[in-house]
Amino acid sequence: MIQFAAVNKYYGDFHVLKDINLKIEKGEVVVVIGPSGSGKSTMLRCINRLESITDGKLTINNTEVNDKKTDINQLRRNIGMVFQHFNLYPHKTVLENITIAPIMVLKQTKEEAEKTAMYFLEKVGIPDKANSYPSQLSGGQQQRVAIARGLAMKPDIMLFDEPTSALDPEMIGEVLDVMKALAKEGMTMVVVTHEMGFAKEVADRIIFMDHGQILEQAKPAEFYANPKEERARLFLSRILNH
Amino acid sequence: MIDLSILINNLDTYLEGFKNTVLSSIIALIGSFILGVIIAIFRISPLKPLNWIGTAYVEFIRNIPLLIITFFFFIGLPALGLTLSGFVAGTIALAIYTASFIAEAIRAGIQSVPKGQMEAARSSGLTYLQTMTKIILPQAIKIVIPPIGNQFINLVKNSSILGIVAGLDLMYFGDIVSSTTFVTFDVYIFVALFYLVLTIPLSLGVGYLEKRLARNH
Ligand SMILES: Nc1ncnc2c1ncn2[C@@H]1O[C@H](COP(=O)(O)OP(=O)(O)OP(=O)(O)O)[C@@H](O)[C@H]1O
Ligand SMILES: [Mg+2]
Repeated sequence: MIQFAAVNKYYGDFHVLKDINLKIEKGEVVVVIGPSGSGKSTMLRCINRLESITDGKLTINNTEVNDKKTDINQLRRNIGMVFQHFNLYPHKTVLENITIAPIMVLKQTKEEAEKTAMYFLEKVGIPDKANSYPSQLSGGQQQRVAIARGLAMKPDIMLFDEPTSALDPEMIGEVLDVMKALAKEGMTMVVVTHEMGFAKEVADRIIFMDHGQILEQAKPAEFYANPKEERARLFLSRILNH
Repeated sequence: MIDLSILINNLDTYLEGFKNTVLSSIIALIGSFILGVIIAIFRISPLKPLNWIGTAYVEFIRNIPLLIITFFFFIGLPALGLTLSGFVAGTIALAIYTASFIAEAIRAGIQSVPKGQMEAARSSGLTYLQTMTKIILPQAIKIVIPPIGNQFINLVKNSSILGIVAGLDLMYFGDIVSSTTFVTFDVYIFVALFYLVLTIPLSLGVGYLEKRLARNH
C-alpha cells in the first residue's frame, strides 16, 4: 500500500532521510520510533507530500506521490493525518472542523457530512461536544476530534505524528484507546509514538530510525525484549529509565 | 480666544476643501486596499518572481517620503509628457504609498496564523485556494483589521499632502483662508477640527470592530 524505494531527502546540505526502503501493507499498523531529529516526522510527512523527497520512489497504491501528474489533493483525501498539536481550526466548531473537508473535497451535502461527523464523534466518545469550539475542549478531547476529522474522509491510511506527546498524562489513555480500536478494525496506520503499551498491543511492526536511516524493523515483542541494534538498545534504555 | 468668525466667513471655502479631502481619501482608501491585497498575495505567493516584485514594492515605496512620490506624479510625469492635476497626482501617490503598509499588515497577519493550520487543511485534500479562503484568511482578518484601520487613519491625515501640489483639499484651502485673512493659528485650528471630524469616527469604528472580532471565536 505504501512503498518507499531508495528514498533520500535533503534539506539543503543536510541529509535527513537516507536510502529509505519500506513497504507497508494494507491493514498494517506500523510504529516508528527513534531519537529526536532522526527523521521520523519527515518520513511520515513525505507520505502525503507535506514534504517532498529528493530522489528515490515513493508510491501509495502504485501512484507515485511526487509525480507531477499525480493529483495531490486526490491522493490526500485518502490519507488522514493527526498532528502532535491537533491543529484544529479555532474559528470553527467541532462539527465544522470535521465536515469542512467532506463538504468541500468530497462534495457531500451538509446533512450527509454532519451525519458522518456525528457517527465518528460517537466513536471517539464526545458527541456532546459537536457545537463547542476547540478552545473549550481539553487536549485529549481536541485530539479525539482531530482523529474524527481524519476518519470522516473515510481514508485508506491514517498517519499519526506523536499524537499523545502534547497531552497531560491523564489524557493519553483516552486517545490511545481510540487509536487501538481503529487499529483493531483494520485501518492501515503509521504512527510515530514512544508509547510502548500501544505498540505492544496493536503494532504489527516497529521501525527504529536514527540519523535519517531505518536501523531496525521487528515485531514489537521481539524489538522491546531484544533489540538487535546497539543504538536501539541505548535508545530504549533511555526512554525506559525516563 | 479663537475667532469663530473666521470659520463662519469662510465656511464655503473650508467645505470645498473638506469635500475634496473626503473624496481623495475615499478613492485612495479603496485603491490602496485593492493594491495592498494584490501586493500581499505576491509577497506570500510560492512563485519566486511575484515574491520578488512584492518585496521590492514594499521595501521601495514605504521607505521613501510620501512627498517624493507625490512630486514624481505631479512634476516627474509632466516632464515625461503626462500632466496630472494636483488632486489626481496626490491621490494616486497616497494610494500607492499606503498600499505598501497595508500589504505589510496583511502579510504579517496571514503569516501569524500557525503553520499547522495550512498543513491540516492541505492534508485533508483542500486546495491552496480553499485553505486560504476558509481557514487562513478568516483567522488572519482579526489580526489584520486593527493595523489596516490605523493605516486608513494615517491616510486621511497624509492626504494633506495635496495642499502642497495645489490639490484643492482642506490644507490647500486652509492656506488660502490664511493668506486672505492674514490669520494663521486660528485658521489651522479649524483645519485640524475638520480632519478630526473624519479621523475620530474612523478611530472609533476600528476600536468597535476590534472588540467585535475579539468576541467571536
Ligand atoms: N524545514 C526544515 N529545514 C531544515 N531542516 C529541517 C527541517 N525540518 C526538519 N529539519 C531537520 O531534519 C531533522 C529531522 O527532523 P524530524 O522532524 O523529521 O525529526 P523527528 O525524528 O521527527 O524528531 P522529533 O522526535 O524531535 O519530532 C532534524 O535534524 C531537523 O532539525
Ligand atoms: Mg517529529
